[in-house]
Amino acid sequence: MTAARRAHRARIYALEAWYQFLMVLREPAFAIPTLLFPLIFYLFFGVVLGAGSFSVAAPTYMLATYSVFGVMGPSLFGFGAGLAMERDSGVLLLKRTTPMPAAAYLLAKVAMAIAFGAAVVLGIFLLGAHGAGVVLYRWQWFALAGVVLAGVIPFCALGLAVGAWSRGRAAVAITNLVFLPMAMLSGLWIPITIFPAALQDVANALPAYHQAQLALKIIDMDGGQTTLLHISVLGVQSLALLAVAAFGFRRAGTGAVSIRPGGTS
Amino acid sequence: MNAGNRSGARSLWILAVAAGGFIGALATLPVPESSAAPGQEVPESRFAVVDVTLFDGGAFQRNQDVWIEDGRVRALGPRLRLPEDLPRVDGRGHTLLPGLIDGHVHTFGGTLNDALRFGVTSVLDQFTDPALLPGAKSARDDIARTGEADLFSAGMLATAPGGHGTQFGMAVEPLTEPASAAAWVRARKDEGSDWIKIISEDGAAYGGELQFPALDRETIGALIAAAHAEEMLAVVHVTGIERALEAVSQGADGLVHVWIDEVIAEEDARRVAEAGVFVVPTLSVIASMFGDSTGLRVLDETDEELVSPMQWGTLGDRSYLRTGTEDEAALENVRRLHEAGVRIVAGTDAPNPGTGAGISMHSELRLLARAGLASDAVLAAATSGAAEAFRIPERGRVAEGHLADLVLVRGDVESDVSRTTDIVTIWKDGYAIARESAATASAPVIAAAPDGPIVADFEDGIDAGFGSGWQVTTDAMNGGTSTAGLAVEAGALVVRGETKAGFPFPWAGAIWFTGPQPMQAADFSGRTTLRFRTRGDGRPYTVMLFGAGAAGTVPPTVPFTAGPEWAVVEIPLKSFATADPTIIAGLAFVTQAPLGAFAFELDDVEIR
Repeated sequence: MTAARRAHRARIYALEAWYQFLMVLREPAFAIPTLLFPLIFYLFFGVVLGAGSFSVAAPTYMLATYSVFGVMGPSLFGFGAGLAMERDSGVLLLKRTTPMPAAAYLLAKVAMAIAFGAAVVLGIFLLGAHGAGVVLYRWQWFALAGVVLAGVIPFCALGLAVGAWSRGRAAVAITNLVFLPMAMLSGLWIPITIFPAALQDVANALPAYHQAQLALKIIDMDGGQTTLLHISVLGVQSLALLAVAAFGFRRAGTGAVSIRPGGTS
Repeated sequence: MNAGNRSGARSLWILAVAAGGFIGALATLPVPESSAAPGQEVPESRFAVVDVTLFDGGAFQRNQDVWIEDGRVRALGPRLRLPEDLPRVDGRGHTLLPGLIDGHVHTFGGTLNDALRFGVTSVLDQFTDPALLPGAKSARDDIARTGEADLFSAGMLATAPGGHGTQFGMAVEPLTEPASAAAWVRARKDEGSDWIKIISEDGAAYGGELQFPALDRETIGALIAAAHAEEMLAVVHVTGIERALEAVSQGADGLVHVWIDEVIAEEDARRVAEAGVFVVPTLSVIASMFGDSTGLRVLDETDEELVSPMQWGTLGDRSYLRTGTEDEAALENVRRLHEAGVRIVAGTDAPNPGTGAGISMHSELRLLARAGLASDAVLAAATSGAAEAFRIPERGRVAEGHLADLVLVRGDVESDVSRTTDIVTIWKDGYAIARESAATASAPVIAAAPDGPIVADFEDGIDAGFGSGWQVTTDAMNGGTSTAGLAVEAGALVVRGETKAGFPFPWAGAIWFTGPQPMQAADFSGRTTLRFRTRGDGRPYTVMLFGAGAAGTVPPTVPFTAGPEWAVVEIPLKSFATADPTIIAGLAFVTQAPLGAFAFELDDVEIR
């Protein structure tokens, strides 16, 4: 491949990402909940109620967990609901008829999730630091941001699996059904140690729990399991979810979807 | 294409600016002022813990500074003006607790060191050798570097002749009548007892076949009154609800177990609260009896080098294990008492079987949380509540002038009490404590057993050729009157004698000391089975296995029968309920109930 062709290809990826970003930014049904909900939740539960809730250190705990929540939103909705709707409306077919590589479409969505996630994370960090007096070592601020943003990998895989298996409008409902209970059961709102033992066991099966534990480890507020365990579970779950998604696309047959917008069979 | 080029370039620029802005913004976020991170070069005696989440004995407070000077807390508060040269420990992300107080222990062996190494800076002993008391008093009044927790104690306990408390082989002066109560209490005061502990126990709650003689109601009342006349607290050992409520109505100050036979009615719980009686539930020992694994889980989470041989031994000792779910009743009782406003004091009953000194305090906290106490209530029960209930001065709170007995724990304990095991530093009187167990050096020396078969065949008399010989063992060592005699006849050991009343657990028989000294353990790793030939009068007999250390605990047993014909008995060592049944100091072959004369023979006793 010549340098010119490589540059051309990079431009395609960059443009697809940029237009994906612009598209969701102009879509209030996506942008408002994914950007504003985590910030408003953190402002209310972490900053206003914060130190008076389950612990005086709650603002610091929630700083990490609401950031995970903030990255989970765009990842799940971009892939889960977004992909299903674009497939049903025929946009996906349209893109497949262009010479653009399929990977560009997927990477654009990942980039969009990172961009939105980063905006939410920064917002929560600023609220925590200046509203709730959260102080961390500099390495902790950076490591926390990095670990939390790495959450796009398992969450996008989960979104992709949901998107592959559900139709347009149903995908929104299904994504919400995954999103909110998982956030709660994974300890993103309050620590799971407050739950009954059976519910605590459920958390061990959820990617958001392991993602949150990795984030909490940086600020010494995790539950004491090993980093290796969390990374292993997240890795295995991500691969399994990608396989589920691939199987879903094959079953639905992306080619067949293409013929009649609105149909999936 | 040109438009595409420009957009592409523009999007890359936007990306770079956004990423730069993100990183730049992160760099502006607030960071702590520089101070030593916890765990490095721990300052002692004169220092401050800064910006820590503090549990002061009553409540959690964030961003506190605590200034320690000469073994005491000099000042505390948010953003103290501290001298420039004062060494600082950065408390960010950590919780500082007052040194824990275990409200129910029994002191022997390395108990006080084991306690301190797990953040228990004071113990409230509910029965020990009174000879320990004068030394304990001067040690606890001294502000100096120490390896032991401060000991406060009831000293000797009050019980009936042959009653609960007499089975441990420790000297006890039993009582028989109310008239002797005043003199008995005065004798305890003279010995140095800090309060009076009274046994109100007949064994019924634990369904024992052999029930204990117990003090009568009048004597218990007289003891409580005599203690109050001497301005001492009177606490009562109970395990059944009936005796618990009776002790409350008789004016007891505290109950040092929670009962397991029945769940308390709400109006009775209110009555206990109104009487101002505190309860030390000792959930750790109760939970372990019924197979709850909280204690073992804490052991599992703990670095090996922090655990002493005695802690391993007693925590793994399953000889109190029984079936049932009475531990649930115990938890429910604690829940109801707490809700009714009864003061709960954390206590473990360590180092009884199933518990370990110090380490079990952390399972006690988890069990209290499981019983429904919030984090601040759990920790108050283990600090300020214990100190107030037993009138222990200068301890249990982080307050100006109090002793600098402190535990720094990683993370946020308020949201999760099980974090108390993640200890960074323990200070006692302002001195940092070495947490590693030095106890391996003072642990019982365990001799290696020789290779090859180890058999006592009695062909050349009673000498087994290994170990330190066979001897008579009876309850006479604990004040009983049973008898036994040994003889070698026709190449076999003949054991004859009689079990008699006079001790709650009568026994008589023969013991084989398998180590180089009597009761010194030998290591039989690799051996799996105890095998012997026996015949006798058809009575039920028992093999008791004595391991290393943990004197005063009940040894694990396995039953066998000696019938009229010679028969081979094989007992897998793992059927002895103890942590490591290949560490053997002695094997006792004894008869217990029914009382009466007995005779049996042993031959070819082999550990293989």
